[in-house]
Amino acid sequence: MGITVENGGILTTVQDEGRFGNQAFGVSTSGAMDPHSFHIANLLVGNEMTEGALEMTFIGPTLTFTSDNIIAVTGGDLTPMLDGQPFPMYRAVLVKKGQKLMFAGARNGSRGYIAFAGGLDIPLVMGSKSTLLRNHIGGVEGRKLEKGDSIEFTAPKTELPNMELRHVPAEIFPDDEVVLRVVLGPQENEFTEEGVRKFFWYSGKITNEFDRMGCRIEREPVEHAGDGNINTDGISMGSVQVPLNGQPIIMLADRQSTGGYPKIGTVITVDFTKIAQARPGQKIRFVEVSLDLAQDLYIRELNDMKALDEKLNSDC
Amino acid sequence: MDVKFLIAGDRAVSVEFGSVISLEVNAKVRALDEKLKESPVEGMVETVPTYCALIVHYRPEVIRYGKLVEELQKRIADMHEVSTTTEKVVKEIPVYYGGETGPDLEYCAELENTTTEEIIRKHSQHEYYVYMLGFAPGHPYMARFEEPFSFKRRTSPRVKIPARSIVVQLALSDFIPFEQPCGWNIIGSTPLDICNFAKDDPFLVRAGDWVKHVPVTKAEYDQIRRDVENGTYKVKTYTLQDNG
Repeated sequence: MGITVENGGILTTVQDEGRFGNQAFGVSTSGAMDPHSFHIANLLVGNEMTEGALEMTFIGPTLTFTSDNIIAVTGGDLTPMLDGQPFPMYRAVLVKKGQKLMFAGARNGSRGYIAFAGGLDIPLVMGSKSTLLRNHIGGVEGRKLEKGDSIEFTAPKTELPNMELRHVPAEIFPDDEVVLRVVLGPQENEFTEEGVRKFFWYSGKITNEFDRMGCRIEREPVEHAGDGNINTDGISMGSVQVPLNGQPIIMLADRQSTGGYPKIGTVITVDFTKIAQARPGQKIRFVEVSLDLAQDLYIRELNDMKALDEKLNSDC
Repeated sequence: MDVKFLIAGDRAVSVEFGSVISLEVNAKVRALDEKLKESPVEGMVETVPTYCALIVHYRPEVIRYGKLVEELQKRIADMHEVSTTTEKVVKEIPVYYGGETGPDLEYCAELENTTTEEIIRKHSQHEYYVYMLGFAPGHPYMARFEEPFSFKRRTSPRVKIPARSIVVQLALSDFIPFEQPCGWNIIGSTPLDICNFAKDDPFLVRAGDWVKHVPVTKAEYDQIRRDVENGTYKVKTYTLQDNG
């Protein structure tokens, strides 16, 4: 018993931490676009923070529960409603069999997460539940959720320890300018000094070409020093690659594992949440930070998650 | 050895062994990859070998950048040079050239001012080296080292070409794992799955393999395809000692 899908929403997929160990064979990692919101959702319901959850985009799904379970909804505010009543976000809530969860549209941010206590019964493909739409693998038959799908719960819960503590303040995502911190490299030398300076100097605009693979930005072109090609090499999540037209593309969860455009810098991991929650048309600006700071911030983020886990789940 | 460590964000470093694509540089990339399999650095997540570089994805909460680079340097100093040519692992890939599934074979012959037989000979006589996989699951980047074609890409790419197409330009040849857009000329089709996620080992070839294309008739192609679908086909693989 679990959930049945009455309406899949715009783009609802199963995602976990990602599929690792096969990028050498050209398999994208996938995984949650906004790891921060995804991790919190899982911790609130007593899961490992990497457990598979539903990622929804702008307009969430309509789900009917076929058994009781404790869930948490985090990320962008897509206006969750349970049986027609506003449903609290960033809080573990017991939903009863027969109740209907729906989403009335994005008020803030763009991607939301629903975590289910005990996790979803989704077969692992190469060690991961994540859906990779392009290659039709993972999740529910390698595709987005559609009307008529049903997903079983693995080990649903009707109670969890510390229920009264299982909430955190909701995030508010900026709706004006998105500022992303970037570590230079690996190919900053493929750009002119002026190009690098202007990359940080001018803001740009997020275009409509923004999906799980990447986010294209329209802006004052970033000037190359060379011909705009490199020997194809590996790509990390957050890589900012710049084709010859000078318009950057931020490589996201479903990015290809390798690519042949120079990468001027890489968005730091703790800022993935900001890009995942941004919307087409928003202004976007890059700020340079040191690798050391980026790693300090990432480790602090992991420690915060660990502290939340201990506070809520030490006696789970 | 001239090795560069390029910062690829807060969780990856790219180790670059050169800037010009060659078997020698790629052999170093593979040597480090092998060394890291044999003696992994704690905190490594995975590695991805490409033409001239090995990207190492890692967990900074386990090992910070400075310490990781130190560990990588130790392993580079200690890695065994792999030879890409003295011991070649060769995989035979049957190809049905021309026909409906190789629509550009005649056009390639025209471009090359020769016969279709000659295009097939050049493509099937020499072994291709798999530098890396990327772009799509199982998709090899391959090149041969003798008698390159002179033609490049088509002037206008096709929006969709079928899985298992064999596409060529210059000294390069790829096989296409899944339907995709493509600007190269299609000279044939292989009955083998390039990537099949239903299998324990989904990928037909891996980085460092050599590929020999073997011409087959339409009837042989159909028979092999049936065997592949029944799970009874075994890819012919052998090791070539070659000091040349």
